[in-house]
Amino acid sequence: MPAGRGYHRIVLKAPEAAAVAVPGQFVMLRVTEDMDPLLARPLGISSLPSKSSIEILYRVAGRGTALLTRAEAGQTLSLLGPLGKGFPQPDKTVTPVLVIGGSGFPPLHFLSLRTNNRAQVFIGARNKENLPPISILKSFRDHALNVSIATEDGSSGRKGLSTDILKAFLKKREQNTRFVLYACGPPAMLAAVSRIAEDHSITCYVTTEERMACGFGACMGCSVPMKGGGYKRVCKEGPVFNSREIEWGSVKSSEFGVRSEEFGVRSEE
Amino acid sequence: MPAKLKIKPNLSVDFAGIKLKNPVLTASGTFGYGEEYAEFVDLNRLGGVIVKGVSLKAIQGNPPPRIWETPSGMLNAIGLENPGVDVFIERKLPYLRQFDTAVIVNVFGYSLEEYVGVVERLDGVLGVSGLEVNISCPNVKAGGIMFGTNVKAAYELLSAVRRATRLPIIAKLSPNVTDITEFACAARDAGCDGISLINTLLGMAIDVRCRRPRLANCTGGLSGPAIRPVAVRMVWQTARSVQLPIIGMGGIMTGEDAIEFILAGASAVAVGTANFIDPRATLNVIEGIETFLREQGLDDIKSLIGAVMA
Repeated sequence: MPAGRGYHRIVLKAPEAAAVAVPGQFVMLRVTEDMDPLLARPLGISSLPSKSSIEILYRVAGRGTALLTRAEAGQTLSLLGPLGKGFPQPDKTVTPVLVIGGSGFPPLHFLSLRTNNRAQVFIGARNKENLPPISILKSFRDHALNVSIATEDGSSGRKGLSTDILKAFLKKREQNTRFVLYACGPPAMLAAVSRIAEDHSITCYVTTEERMACGFGACMGCSVPMKGGGYKRVCKEGPVFNSREIEWGSVKSSEFGVRSEEFGVRSEE
Repeated sequence: MPAKLKIKPNLSVDFAGIKLKNPVLTASGTFGYGEEYAEFVDLNRLGGVIVKGVSLKAIQGNPPPRIWETPSGMLNAIGLENPGVDVFIERKLPYLRQFDTAVIVNVFGYSLEEYVGVVERLDGVLGVSGLEVNISCPNVKAGGIMFGTNVKAAYELLSAVRRATRLPIIAKLSPNVTDITEFACAARDAGCDGISLINTLLGMAIDVRCRRPRLANCTGGLSGPAIRPVAVRMVWQTARSVQLPIIGMGGIMTGEDAIEFILAGASAVAVGTANFIDPRATLNVIEGIETFLREQGLDDIKSLIGAVMA
Protein backbone atom coordinates (compact mmCIF):
# COMPACT_ATOMS: atom_id res chain seq x y z
CA MET A 1 0.00 0.00 0.00
CA PRO A 2 1.12 3.62 -0.54
CA ALA A 3 3.51 4.74 2.21
CA GLY A 4 3.77 8.39 1.18
CA ARG A 5 6.16 10.41 -0.99
CA GLY A 6 5.78 7.92 -3.82
CA TYR A 7 6.80 4.90 -1.78
CA HIS A 8 4.91 1.68 -1.41
CA ARG A 9 5.01 -0.63 1.55
CA ILE A 10 4.50 -4.37 1.40
CA VAL A 11 4.69 -6.72 4.37
CA LEU A 12 5.37 -10.34 3.48
CA LYS A 13 4.72 -13.25 5.75
CA ALA A 14 7.97 -15.19 5.44
CA PRO A 15 8.85 -16.79 8.79
CA GLU A 16 11.99 -18.58 7.59
CA ALA A 17 13.40 -15.43 6.00
CA ALA A 18 12.43 -13.24 8.95
CA ALA A 19 14.12 -15.61 11.40
CA VAL A 20 17.56 -15.03 9.93
CA ALA A 21 17.45 -11.70 8.06
CA VAL A 22 19.94 -9.01 9.05
CA PRO A 23 20.18 -5.36 7.96
CA GLY A 24 21.70 -4.93 4.50
CA GLN A 25 20.24 -8.13 3.10
CA PHE A 26 17.68 -8.32 0.32
CA VAL A 27 15.11 -10.67 -1.18
CA MET A 28 14.31 -11.62 -4.77
CA LEU A 29 10.61 -11.18 -5.36
CA ARG A 30 8.78 -12.60 -8.35
CA VAL A 31 5.68 -10.53 -9.04
CA THR A 32 4.04 -12.74 -11.63
CA GLU A 33 3.85 -16.39 -12.63
CA ASP A 34 3.95 -15.29 -16.26
CA MET A 35 7.07 -15.25 -18.39
CA ASP A 36 6.95 -11.50 -18.72
CA PRO A 37 8.47 -9.76 -16.82
CA LEU A 38 10.78 -12.73 -16.54
CA LEU A 39 13.17 -11.95 -13.72
CA ALA A 40 12.59 -11.59 -10.00
CA ARG A 41 13.27 -8.15 -8.49
CA PRO A 42 15.91 -7.54 -5.83
CA LEU A 43 14.45 -5.50 -2.97
CA GLY A 44 16.12 -4.47 0.27
CA ILE A 45 14.57 -5.40 3.61
CA SER A 46 13.53 -2.27 5.53
CA SER A 47 12.43 -3.92 8.77
CA LEU A 48 10.98 -7.03 10.38
CA PRO A 49 7.54 -5.94 11.63
CA SER A 50 7.14 -9.28 13.42
CA LYS A 51 8.99 -12.51 14.03
CA SER A 52 7.44 -13.96 10.90
CA SER A 53 7.30 -11.06 8.46
CA ILE A 54 9.52 -8.76 6.46
CA GLU A 55 8.78 -5.25 5.30
CA ILE A 56 9.78 -3.88 1.90
CA LEU A 57 9.58 -0.20 0.99
CA TYR A 58 9.99 0.56 -2.69
CA ARG A 59 9.28 3.04 -5.41
CA VAL A 60 7.83 2.14 -8.78
CA ALA A 61 10.89 2.03 -10.99
CA GLY A 62 9.72 -0.21 -13.82
CA ARG A 63 7.29 -2.93 -14.81
CA GLY A 64 8.14 -5.27 -11.96
CA THR A 65 7.60 -2.78 -9.17
CA ALA A 66 4.50 -1.47 -10.94
CA LEU A 67 3.05 -5.00 -10.88
CA LEU A 68 4.02 -5.33 -7.23
CA THR A 69 1.79 -2.38 -6.31
CA ARG A 70 -1.15 -4.44 -7.59
CA ALA A 71 -0.43 -7.37 -5.26
CA GLU A 72 -3.38 -7.99 -2.99
CA ALA A 73 -3.51 -8.90 0.67
CA GLY A 74 -3.38 -12.67 1.04
CA GLN A 75 -1.80 -13.22 -2.35
CA THR A 76 1.20 -15.58 -2.49
CA LEU A 77 4.37 -14.26 -4.10
CA SER A 78 7.50 -16.22 -4.85
CA LEU A 79 10.29 -14.98 -2.58
CA LEU A 80 13.92 -16.01 -2.30
CA GLY A 81 15.94 -14.76 0.62
CA PRO A 82 17.32 -13.28 2.70
CA LEU A 83 20.23 -12.96 0.29
CA GLY A 84 23.68 -11.40 0.40
CA LYS A 85 25.86 -10.31 3.28
CA GLY A 86 24.50 -7.64 5.60
CA PHE A 87 26.24 -4.88 7.52
CA PRO A 88 28.72 -5.94 10.17
CA GLN A 89 26.92 -5.12 13.42
CA PRO A 90 28.56 -2.04 15.02
CA ASP A 91 30.19 -2.87 18.35
CA LYS A 92 29.23 -0.93 21.44
CA THR A 93 32.34 1.24 21.53
CA VAL A 94 31.67 3.03 18.23
CA THR A 95 29.04 5.48 17.07
CA PRO A 96 27.26 4.25 13.93
CA VAL A 97 26.91 7.02 11.37
CA LEU A 98 24.26 6.33 8.74
CA VAL A 99 24.39 8.32 5.49
CA ILE A 100 21.37 8.05 3.24
CA GLY A 101 20.84 9.43 -0.24
CA GLY A 102 17.54 9.55 -2.10
CA SER A 103 15.59 6.33 -1.86
CA GLY A 104 18.49 4.37 -0.39
CA PHE A 105 17.06 4.30 3.08
CA PRO A 106 15.48 0.81 3.54
CA PRO A 107 18.60 -1.19 4.54
CA LEU A 108 19.81 1.63 6.78
CA HIS A 109 16.38 1.98 8.35
CA PHE A 110 16.59 -1.71 9.28
CA LEU A 111 20.11 -1.11 10.66
CA SER A 112 18.99 1.91 12.72
CA LEU A 113 16.54 -0.33 14.56
CA ARG A 114 19.46 -2.39 15.81
CA THR A 115 21.79 0.34 17.01
CA ASN A 116 20.32 0.91 20.48
CA ASN A 117 19.53 4.57 19.86
CA ARG A 118 23.19 5.36 19.29
CA ALA A 119 23.17 6.13 15.57
CA GLN A 120 23.79 9.49 13.96
CA VAL A 121 21.66 9.65 10.80
CA PHE A 122 22.26 11.96 7.83
CA ILE A 123 19.65 12.00 5.11
CA GLY A 124 20.00 13.83 1.83
CA ALA A 125 17.57 14.25 -1.06
CA ARG A 126 17.04 16.51 -4.03
CA ASN A 127 14.02 18.08 -2.39
CA LYS A 128 11.43 17.50 0.33
CA GLU A 129 9.33 15.25 -1.92
CA ASN A 130 12.27 12.90 -2.39
CA LEU A 131 12.92 12.35 1.30
CA PRO A 132 11.88 9.05 2.89
CA PRO A 133 8.19 8.83 3.87
CA ILE A 134 7.22 10.75 7.04
CA SER A 135 6.58 7.50 8.94
CA ILE A 136 10.15 6.38 8.19
CA LEU A 137 11.63 9.73 9.22
CA LYS A 138 9.74 9.38 12.48
CA SER A 139 11.05 5.86 12.93
CA PHE A 140 14.61 7.10 12.35
CA ARG A 141 14.06 9.83 14.98
CA ASP A 142 12.64 7.26 17.41
CA HIS A 143 15.59 4.91 17.02
CA ALA A 144 18.58 7.18 16.44
CA LEU A 145 20.51 9.58 18.65
CA ASN A 146 20.13 12.33 16.07
CA VAL A 147 18.69 12.77 12.57
CA SER A 148 19.92 15.51 10.24
CA ILE A 149 18.39 16.32 6.88
CA ALA A 150 19.72 18.15 3.86
CA THR A 151 17.98 18.90 0.59
CA GLU A 152 19.60 20.27 -2.53
CA ASP A 153 16.91 22.96 -2.88
CA GLY A 154 16.64 23.69 0.84
CA SER A 155 12.95 22.71 0.96
CA SER A 156 13.63 20.67 4.09
CA GLY A 157 16.52 20.73 6.57
CA ARG A 158 19.81 22.31 5.57
CA LYS A 159 20.39 23.35 1.97
CA GLY A 160 23.02 21.07 0.53
CA LEU A 161 24.06 17.45 0.26
CA SER A 162 24.07 14.60 2.76
CA THR A 163 27.85 14.74 2.57
CA ASP A 164 27.86 18.44 3.51
CA ILE A 165 26.11 17.78 6.82
CA LEU A 166 28.25 14.68 7.36
CA LYS A 167 31.46 16.68 6.87
CA ALA A 168 30.26 19.42 9.23
CA PHE A 169 29.48 16.78 11.85
CA LEU A 170 32.85 15.07 11.53
CA LYS A 171 34.67 18.42 11.77
CA LYS A 172 33.06 19.09 15.14
CA ARG A 173 33.57 15.59 16.46
CA GLU A 174 34.99 15.13 19.89
CA GLN A 175 38.38 13.55 20.36
CA ASN A 176 38.33 9.85 21.17
CA THR A 177 34.91 9.30 19.61
CA ARG A 178 35.08 6.41 17.20
CA PHE A 179 32.75 6.17 14.24
CA VAL A 180 31.74 3.63 11.64
CA LEU A 181 30.07 4.91 8.49
CA TYR A 182 27.23 3.08 6.76
CA ALA A 183 26.11 4.53 3.45
CA CYS A 184 23.39 3.78 0.95
CA GLY A 185 22.53 5.97 -2.01
CA PRO A 186 23.49 6.78 -5.60
CA PRO A 187 26.97 5.66 -6.71
CA ALA A 188 28.38 9.21 -6.79
CA MET A 189 27.25 9.72 -3.19
CA LEU A 190 28.83 6.44 -2.13
CA ALA A 191 32.08 7.45 -3.79
CA ALA A 192 31.95 10.82 -2.00
CA VAL A 193 31.23 9.22 1.39
CA SER A 194 34.00 6.73 0.76
CA ARG A 195 36.43 9.60 0.12
CA ILE A 196 35.35 11.36 3.34
CA ALA A 197 35.82 8.12 5.29
CA GLU A 198 39.33 7.75 3.95
CA ASP A 199 40.19 11.37 4.75
CA HIS A 200 39.06 10.82 8.35
CA SER A 201 40.44 7.26 8.64
CA ILE A 202 36.97 5.95 9.42
CA THR A 203 35.77 2.47 8.46
CA CYS A 204 32.96 2.77 5.94
CA TYR A 205 30.49 0.20 4.65
CA VAL A 206 28.41 0.85 1.55
CA THR A 207 25.56 -1.07 -0.01
CA THR A 208 25.96 -1.50 -3.73
CA GLU A 209 23.43 -2.16 -6.45
CA GLU A 210 23.76 -3.65 -9.89
CA ARG A 211 21.43 -5.38 -12.29
CA MET A 212 21.10 -9.04 -11.47
CA ALA A 213 19.18 -12.03 -12.81
CA CYS A 214 19.36 -14.57 -9.99
CA GLY A 215 20.35 -12.98 -6.67
CA PHE A 216 22.27 -16.01 -5.41
CA GLY A 217 25.61 -15.90 -7.19
CA ALA A 218 24.97 -17.92 -10.33
CA CYS A 219 24.36 -15.47 -13.17
CA MET A 220 27.49 -13.36 -12.57
CA GLY A 221 25.54 -10.33 -13.74
CA CYS A 222 25.82 -8.06 -10.71
CA SER A 223 29.56 -7.56 -10.67
CA VAL A 224 31.22 -4.54 -9.06
CA PRO A 225 34.84 -3.71 -9.85
CA MET A 226 37.31 -4.19 -6.99
CA LYS A 227 40.48 -2.28 -6.23
CA GLY A 228 43.40 -4.32 -7.47
CA GLY A 229 41.37 -5.82 -10.31
CA GLY A 230 38.59 -8.31 -10.75
CA TYR A 231 34.97 -8.19 -9.73
CA LYS A 232 32.83 -9.28 -6.81
CA ARG A 233 29.14 -10.07 -6.92
CA VAL A 234 26.67 -7.66 -5.31
CA CYS A 235 24.37 -10.56 -4.47
CA LYS A 236 26.92 -12.88 -2.89
CA GLU A 237 30.03 -11.08 -1.60
CA GLY A 238 27.86 -7.93 -1.22
CA PRO A 239 25.63 -6.01 -1.29
CA VAL A 240 27.56 -4.53 1.65
CA PHE A 241 31.24 -3.88 1.00
CA ASN A 242 33.94 -2.06 2.88
CA SER A 243 34.26 1.09 0.77
CA ARG A 244 38.03 0.57 0.48
CA GLU A 245 37.48 -2.65 -1.47
CA ILE A 246 35.63 -0.97 -4.32
CA GLU A 247 37.25 0.49 -7.39
CA TRP A 248 35.21 3.65 -7.73
CA GLY A 249 36.97 4.32 -11.02
CA SER A 250 34.55 6.04 -13.33
CA VAL A 251 32.18 6.94 -10.47
CA LYS A 252 33.24 10.49 -9.73
CA SER A 253 32.55 11.67 -6.20
CA SER A 254 32.86 15.24 -7.51
CA GLU A 255 29.76 14.69 -9.62
CA PHE A 256 27.64 14.08 -6.56
CA GLY A 257 24.99 16.78 -6.38
CA VAL A 258 25.95 18.12 -9.79
CA ARG A 259 23.93 15.51 -11.59
CA SER A 260 21.31 14.25 -9.22
CA GLU A 261 20.76 10.57 -9.70
CA GLU A 262 17.71 8.83 -8.48
CA PHE A 263 18.40 5.67 -6.63
CA GLY A 264 16.18 2.70 -7.25
CA VAL A 265 15.85 -0.95 -7.94
CA ARG A 266 18.60 -1.75 -10.36
CA SER A 267 16.77 -4.50 -12.10
CA GLU A 268 14.48 -1.87 -13.54
CA GLU A 269 14.43 1.41 -15.37
CA MET B 1 -6.84 -40.84 -24.41
CA PRO B 2 -3.90 -43.15 -23.66
CA ALA B 3 -3.98 -45.18 -20.48
CA LYS B 4 -2.13 -43.60 -17.58
CA LEU B 5 1.06 -45.36 -16.67
CA LYS B 6 1.31 -46.87 -13.22
CA ILE B 7 4.99 -47.84 -13.23
CA LYS B 8 7.77 -45.24 -13.13
CA PRO B 9 8.73 -44.33 -16.68
CA ASN B 10 12.35 -44.80 -17.71
CA LEU B 11 14.00 -41.41 -18.11
CA SER B 12 17.56 -42.60 -18.63
CA VAL B 13 19.37 -41.91 -21.87
CA ASP B 14 22.81 -42.68 -23.22
CA PHE B 15 24.23 -39.52 -24.67
CA ALA B 16 27.33 -40.09 -26.81
CA GLY B 17 28.46 -42.76 -24.38
CA ILE B 18 27.65 -40.65 -21.31
CA LYS B 19 25.08 -42.36 -19.09
CA LEU B 20 22.40 -39.92 -17.95
CA LYS B 21 19.80 -40.96 -15.36
CA ASN B 22 17.45 -38.50 -16.97
CA PRO B 23 17.77 -36.20 -19.97
CA VAL B 24 17.89 -32.97 -17.95
CA LEU B 25 21.19 -31.09 -17.78
CA THR B 26 22.09 -27.57 -16.75
CA ALA B 27 22.99 -25.10 -19.48
CA SER B 28 26.53 -23.79 -19.20
CA GLY B 29 26.81 -20.40 -17.55
CA THR B 30 23.52 -20.66 -15.69
CA PHE B 31 24.50 -23.14 -12.99
CA GLY B 32 27.98 -22.03 -11.96
CA TYR B 33 29.99 -25.04 -10.87
CA GLY B 34 27.06 -26.69 -9.10
CA GLU B 35 27.95 -25.43 -5.64
CA GLU B 36 25.98 -22.22 -6.21
CA TYR B 37 22.82 -24.36 -6.22
CA ALA B 38 23.77 -26.61 -3.30
CA GLU B 39 21.09 -25.27 -0.98
CA PHE B 40 18.35 -25.59 -3.60
CA VAL B 41 19.00 -28.72 -5.63
CA ASP B 42 20.17 -32.24 -4.80
CA LEU B 43 22.61 -32.61 -7.68
CA ASN B 44 22.20 -36.40 -7.51
CA ARG B 45 18.79 -35.92 -9.11
CA LEU B 46 20.11 -34.26 -12.26
CA GLY B 47 20.98 -36.05 -15.47
CA GLY B 48 24.11 -33.97 -15.51
CA VAL B 49 25.72 -30.64 -14.88
CA ILE B 50 27.27 -28.66 -17.73
CA VAL B 51 29.49 -26.25 -15.85
CA LYS B 52 30.20 -22.61 -16.59
CA GLY B 53 32.79 -22.29 -19.37
CA VAL B 54 36.42 -22.65 -18.41
CA SER B 55 39.41 -21.32 -20.29
CA LEU B 56 43.16 -21.93 -20.04
CA LYS B 57 43.70 -18.79 -17.92
CA ALA B 58 41.34 -16.93 -15.57
CA ILE B 59 39.11 -14.29 -17.18
CA GLN B 60 37.66 -11.31 -15.29
CA GLY B 61 34.70 -10.71 -17.55
CA ASN B 62 33.02 -7.55 -18.79
CA PRO B 63 32.31 -4.33 -16.90
CA PRO B 64 28.72 -3.85 -15.65
CA PRO B 65 25.92 -3.52 -16.58
CA ARG B 66 26.05 -7.12 -17.75
CA ILE B 67 22.33 -7.94 -17.65
CA TRP B 68 19.23 -6.46 -19.24
CA GLU B 69 15.73 -7.91 -19.07
CA THR B 70 13.81 -8.13 -22.34
CA PRO B 71 10.28 -9.34 -23.19
CA SER B 72 10.17 -12.95 -21.88
CA GLY B 73 13.93 -13.04 -21.92
CA MET B 74 17.17 -11.43 -20.95
CA LEU B 75 20.35 -10.17 -22.51
CA ASN B 76 23.66 -10.96 -20.88
CA ALA B 77 27.24 -9.99 -21.55
CA ILE B 78 29.12 -11.58 -18.67
CA GLY B 79 32.24 -12.03 -20.77
CA LEU B 80 33.00 -15.64 -19.82
CA GLU B 81 34.29 -14.74 -16.35
CA ASN B 82 35.93 -17.87 -14.94
CA PRO B 83 38.82 -18.87 -12.68
CA GLY B 84 40.74 -20.83 -15.34
CA VAL B 85 41.04 -24.57 -15.89
CA ASP B 86 43.61 -25.27 -13.15
CA VAL B 87 41.53 -23.62 -10.42
CA PHE B 88 38.48 -25.40 -11.83
CA ILE B 89 40.19 -28.81 -11.50
CA GLU B 90 41.63 -28.09 -8.05
CA ARG B 91 38.77 -26.22 -6.36
CA LYS B 92 35.52 -26.67 -8.29
CA LEU B 93 35.61 -30.22 -9.64
CA PRO B 94 36.16 -31.98 -6.25
CA TYR B 95 32.80 -30.65 -5.10
CA LEU B 96 31.01 -31.99 -8.19
CA ARG B 97 32.72 -35.38 -7.90
CA GLN B 98 30.76 -36.11 -4.72
CA PHE B 99 27.55 -36.49 -6.68
CA ASP B 100 26.15 -39.25 -8.81
CA THR B 101 25.61 -37.06 -11.86
CA ALA B 102 27.42 -36.59 -15.16
CA VAL B 103 29.80 -33.63 -15.24
CA ILE B 104 30.28 -32.06 -18.64
CA VAL B 105 32.87 -29.32 -18.76
CA ASN B 106 32.21 -26.42 -21.10
CA VAL B 107 35.49 -25.16 -22.57
CA PHE B 108 36.48 -22.22 -24.74
CA GLY B 109 39.49 -20.18 -25.79
CA TYR B 110 40.51 -17.12 -27.73
CA SER B 111 42.64 -19.12 -30.14
CA LEU B 112 42.86 -22.67 -31.44
CA GLU B 113 45.91 -23.22 -29.22
CA GLU B 114 43.99 -22.13 -26.11
CA TYR B 115 41.12 -24.48 -26.91
CA VAL B 116 43.55 -27.36 -27.37
CA GLY B 117 45.39 -26.39 -24.18
CA VAL B 118 42.31 -26.46 -21.96
CA VAL B 119 41.05 -29.69 -23.56
CA GLU B 120 44.41 -31.43 -23.03
CA ARG B 121 44.42 -30.30 -19.42
CA LEU B 122 41.02 -31.95 -18.81
CA ASP B 123 41.77 -35.20 -20.64
CA GLY B 124 41.81 -38.08 -18.19
CA VAL B 125 40.82 -35.92 -15.18
CA LEU B 126 38.74 -37.95 -12.75
CA GLY B 127 35.08 -36.94 -12.64
CA VAL B 128 34.82 -35.41 -16.10
CA SER B 129 32.27 -37.24 -18.26
CA GLY B 130 32.66 -35.16 -21.38
CA LEU B 131 33.47 -31.79 -22.87
CA GLU B 132 31.16 -29.24 -24.39
CA VAL B 133 33.21 -27.10 -26.73
CA ASN B 134 31.78 -23.60 -26.89
CA ILE B 135 32.44 -22.24 -30.35
CA SER B 136 29.62 -19.76 -30.05
CA CYS B 137 29.84 -17.25 -27.22
CA PRO B 138 28.68 -13.91 -28.59
CA ASN B 139 30.32 -11.89 -25.82
CA VAL B 140 33.98 -12.28 -26.61
CA LYS B 141 35.33 -10.22 -29.43
CA ALA B 142 38.28 -12.39 -30.50
CA GLY B 143 38.14 -16.06 -31.36
CA GLY B 144 34.84 -17.48 -30.14
CA ILE B 145 32.44 -15.87 -32.53
CA MET B 146 34.69 -16.41 -35.51
CA PHE B 147 34.88 -20.17 -34.91
CA GLY B 148 31.13 -20.28 -34.43
CA THR B 149 30.15 -18.50 -37.62
CA ASN B 150 32.76 -19.76 -40.07
CA VAL B 151 32.29 -23.38 -41.13
CA LYS B 152 35.91 -23.98 -42.08
CA ALA B 153 37.25 -22.45 -38.85
CA ALA B 154 34.74 -24.48 -36.84
CA TYR B 155 35.84 -27.70 -38.57
CA GLU B 156 39.53 -27.01 -38.03
CA LEU B 157 39.03 -26.09 -34.39
CA LEU B 158 36.88 -29.11 -33.59
CA SER B 159 39.29 -31.41 -35.43
CA ALA B 160 42.20 -30.09 -33.36
CA VAL B 161 40.18 -30.50 -30.17
CA ARG B 162 39.25 -34.04 -31.24
CA ARG B 163 42.93 -35.00 -31.51
CA ALA B 164 43.61 -33.56 -28.05
CA THR B 165 41.27 -35.73 -25.97
CA ARG B 166 39.66 -39.13 -25.62
CA LEU B 167 36.64 -37.64 -23.82
CA PRO B 168 33.30 -37.35 -25.62
CA ILE B 169 33.15 -33.98 -27.40
CA ILE B 170 29.92 -32.05 -27.75
CA ALA B 171 30.11 -29.01 -30.02
CA LYS B 172 28.00 -26.09 -28.77
CA LEU B 173 26.89 -24.28 -31.89
CA SER B 174 26.00 -20.66 -32.44
CA PRO B 175 22.47 -19.87 -33.65
CA ASN B 176 23.80 -16.69 -35.23
CA VAL B 177 24.25 -18.35 -38.63
CA THR B 178 22.13 -18.71 -41.74
CA ASP B 179 22.26 -22.52 -41.96
CA ILE B 180 22.84 -24.37 -38.70
CA THR B 181 23.11 -27.73 -40.46
CA GLU B 182 26.39 -26.72 -42.16
CA PHE B 183 27.94 -26.35 -38.72
CA ALA B 184 26.41 -29.57 -37.45
CA CYS B 185 27.94 -31.38 -40.43
CA ALA B 186 31.31 -29.75 -39.72
CA ALA B 187 31.10 -31.00 -36.12
CA ARG B 188 30.29 -34.51 -37.33
CA ASP B 189 33.08 -34.49 -39.90
CA ALA B 190 35.53 -33.28 -37.24
CA GLY B 191 34.71 -36.34 -35.15
CA CYS B 192 32.50 -34.77 -32.47
CA ASP B 193 30.25 -37.10 -30.49
CA GLY B 194 27.31 -34.77 -30.00
CA ILE B 195 25.91 -31.30 -30.56
CA SER B 196 24.52 -28.69 -28.16
CA LEU B 197 22.18 -26.06 -29.45
CA ILE B 198 21.43 -23.33 -29.15
CA ASN B 199 23.73 -20.81 -27.50
CA THR B 200 22.29 -17.32 -27.02
CA LEU B 201 21.15 -15.17 -29.91
CA LEU B 202 23.14 -11.99 -30.37
CA GLY B 203 21.01 -9.05 -29.29
CA MET B 204 21.04 -5.42 -28.22
CA ALA B 205 18.89 -3.01 -26.24
CA ILE B 206 19.19 0.76 -26.10
CA ASP B 207 18.19 3.28 -23.43
CA VAL B 208 16.38 5.76 -25.67
CA ARG B 209 16.63 8.66 -23.22
CA CYS B 210 20.38 8.34 -22.64
CA ARG B 211 20.91 7.07 -26.20
CA ARG B 212 23.26 4.45 -24.81
CA PRO B 213 23.29 0.66 -25.03
CA ARG B 214 21.79 -1.04 -21.98
CA LEU B 215 24.84 -3.28 -21.66
CA ALA B 216 28.38 -1.98 -21.17
CA ASN B 217 29.43 -4.49 -23.83
CA CYS B 218 26.81 -2.92 -26.20
CA THR B 219 25.63 -6.33 -27.45
CA GLY B 220 24.80 -9.46 -25.49
CA GLY B 221 23.32 -12.92 -25.70
CA LEU B 222 19.53 -13.27 -25.66
CA SER B 223 18.12 -16.17 -23.67
CA GLY B 224 14.89 -17.27 -22.01
CA PRO B 225 11.47 -18.29 -23.33
CA ALA B 226 11.70 -15.61 -26.03
CA ILE B 227 14.19 -17.73 -28.01
CA ARG B 228 12.56 -21.14 -27.59
CA PRO B 229 10.88 -21.37 -31.04
CA VAL B 230 14.18 -20.52 -32.72
CA ALA B 231 15.94 -23.20 -30.67
CA VAL B 232 13.31 -25.88 -31.37
CA ARG B 233 13.51 -25.12 -35.08
CA MET B 234 17.31 -25.44 -35.10
CA VAL B 235 17.22 -28.73 -33.17
CA TRP B 236 14.67 -30.07 -35.64
CA GLN B 237 16.69 -29.02 -38.69
CA THR B 238 19.89 -30.45 -37.23
CA ALA B 239 18.33 -33.75 -36.18
CA ARG B 240 17.08 -34.26 -39.73
CA SER B 241 20.47 -33.66 -41.30
CA VAL B 242 23.04 -35.17 -38.90
CA GLN B 243 23.09 -38.46 -37.03
CA LEU B 244 24.79 -37.06 -33.90
CA PRO B 245 22.83 -36.89 -30.63
CA ILE B 246 21.68 -33.39 -29.67
CA ILE B 247 21.37 -31.55 -26.36
CA GLY B 248 18.51 -29.11 -26.97
CA MET B 249 18.28 -25.86 -25.05
CA GLY B 250 16.80 -22.39 -25.27
CA GLY B 251 14.16 -21.09 -22.90
CA ILE B 252 13.09 -24.39 -21.33
CA MET B 253 10.95 -23.55 -18.28
CA THR B 254 8.78 -26.66 -17.88
CA GLY B 255 8.71 -30.37 -18.56
CA GLU B 256 6.54 -29.84 -21.61
CA ASP B 257 9.02 -27.31 -23.00
CA ALA B 258 11.68 -30.03 -22.67
CA ILE B 259 9.40 -32.55 -24.45
CA GLU B 260 9.11 -30.11 -27.34
CA PHE B 261 12.89 -30.26 -27.85
CA ILE B 262 12.93 -34.05 -27.50
CA LEU B 263 10.18 -34.44 -30.10
CA ALA B 264 12.20 -32.15 -32.37
CA GLY B 265 15.10 -34.59 -32.10
CA ALA B 266 17.06 -33.82 -28.93
CA SER B 267 18.26 -36.80 -26.88
CA ALA B 268 18.83 -34.58 -23.85
CA VAL B 269 17.94 -31.04 -22.83
CA ALA B 270 19.55 -28.28 -20.81
CA VAL B 271 17.77 -25.84 -18.52
CA GLY B 272 19.36 -22.40 -18.53
CA THR B 273 17.81 -19.04 -17.74
CA ALA B 274 15.01 -20.75 -15.79
CA ASN B 275 17.56 -21.55 -13.08
CA PHE B 276 17.92 -17.83 -12.36
CA ILE B 277 14.20 -17.36 -11.86
CA ASP B 278 13.67 -20.53 -9.87
CA PRO B 279 16.79 -22.29 -8.61
CA ARG B 280 14.81 -25.54 -8.50
CA ALA B 281 13.78 -25.27 -12.17
CA THR B 282 15.75 -28.36 -13.21
CA LEU B 283 13.85 -30.52 -10.74
CA ASN B 284 10.53 -29.10 -11.90
CA VAL B 285 11.46 -29.96 -15.48
CA ILE B 286 12.40 -33.54 -14.53
CA GLU B 287 9.13 -33.97 -12.66
CA GLY B 288 7.22 -32.38 -15.53
CA ILE B 289 8.72 -34.83 -18.03
CA GLU B 290 7.81 -37.76 -15.82
CA THR B 291 4.26 -36.49 -15.37
CA PHE B 292 3.92 -36.04 -19.11
CA LEU B 293 5.10 -39.59 -19.83
CA ARG B 294 2.65 -41.00 -17.28
CA GLU B 295 -0.20 -39.00 -18.76
CA GLN B 296 0.68 -40.27 -22.22
CA GLY B 297 1.03 -43.84 -21.02
CA LEU B 298 4.65 -43.97 -22.18
CA ASP B 299 7.21 -46.03 -20.31
CA ASP B 300 10.39 -44.65 -21.87
CA ILE B 301 11.47 -41.12 -22.78
CA LYS B 302 13.52 -42.52 -25.67
CA SER B 303 10.31 -43.27 -27.54
CA LEU B 304 9.79 -39.51 -27.96
CA ILE B 305 13.20 -38.59 -29.37
CA GLY B 306 12.60 -37.14 -32.82
CA ALA B 307 9.00 -38.34 -32.76
CA VAL B 308 7.46 -35.12 -34.07
CA MET B 309 5.18 -35.94 -36.98
CA ALA B 310 6.29 -33.43 -39.56
